[in-house]
Amino acid sequence: MGKTVLIVDDSNTMRKIVSRALRQAGIDFDTILEAGDGQEALTVLGANKVDVVLSDINMPNMTGLEFLKAKAEDAAIKDIPVVMISTETGADIIDEAKSYGAKGAIKKPFTPELINETLGALL
Amino acid sequence: MEFAKKITESAEEIFSTMIFMNVTAGSPMEEGKEDLGCHVSAVIGLTGDLTAMLGIHCPEQVGLGISGAMLGMELNEIDADVKDALGEIANMVAGGLKERFSRENIKLELAIPTTVAGKSYTISSPTRSNRIVIPFSVEQGHFFIEIKYNLT
Repeated sequence: MGKTVLIVDDSNTMRKIVSRALRQAGIDFDTILEAGDGQEALTVLGANKVDVVLSDINMPNMTGLEFLKAKAEDAAIKDIPVVMISTETGADIIDEAKSYGAKGAIKKPFTPELINETLGALL
Repeated sequence: MEFAKKITESAEEIFSTMIFMNVTAGSPMEEGKEDLGCHVSAVIGLTGDLTAMLGIHCPEQVGLGISGAMLGMELNEIDADVKDALGEIANMVAGGLKERFSRENIKLELAIPTTVAGKSYTISSPTRSNRIVIPFSVEQGHFFIEIKYNLT
């Protein structure tokens, strides 16, 4: 069965760019799902089998950190790996994200090589 | 504080890694006309150890060219995709500024970017703020990155 990725970002442009970067990185997902904020992401995770999540941090409605906290409290989805992909990659924010279960962080702007390097270890 | 240097470095990194356009920075302007002759602007607020508003201002053809290159598609009008793309560039430039200031132990937080478009608009910012405008050149023409800031 093919792998599925969920891209969470309030920017439609950035979701398209991440999708393109995944292809350029040579990472073939059979299904790419999208969500515009953390709340939407929780809904998508509840309805689909997802192998990995790439999530922005700075989003309206529910931020990436709030999403991580909510996800960690749901036994059905808490073990799905999440990589943060954001302009917010200061050590304090990333440490907080990791304390809620994030497996890594990719700084915007990013290259396909960086995505490959970060996701390669998780897939 | 080298605002212009930090903004230029950040913009050049974004254009080379995610937009794939050649961009050339001009000399920063600390004084100059308020009306930059642009049709679409993305702005983002920064708070913390200083208060600032960072804006990217583009004439229509430049905004279309940059957004199209970023999305890998041809764009013909200032629509939601163009506004979203320019907002994301503003977000990344501000993020680069935040990262560079953090190395000097200056802490900043970013707001959510917003974008406006039209033939005639003004963007207000706190009075008595310092202002730097950096012109950039791309194939389609010039655009500007502006920062207005107050030290807190």
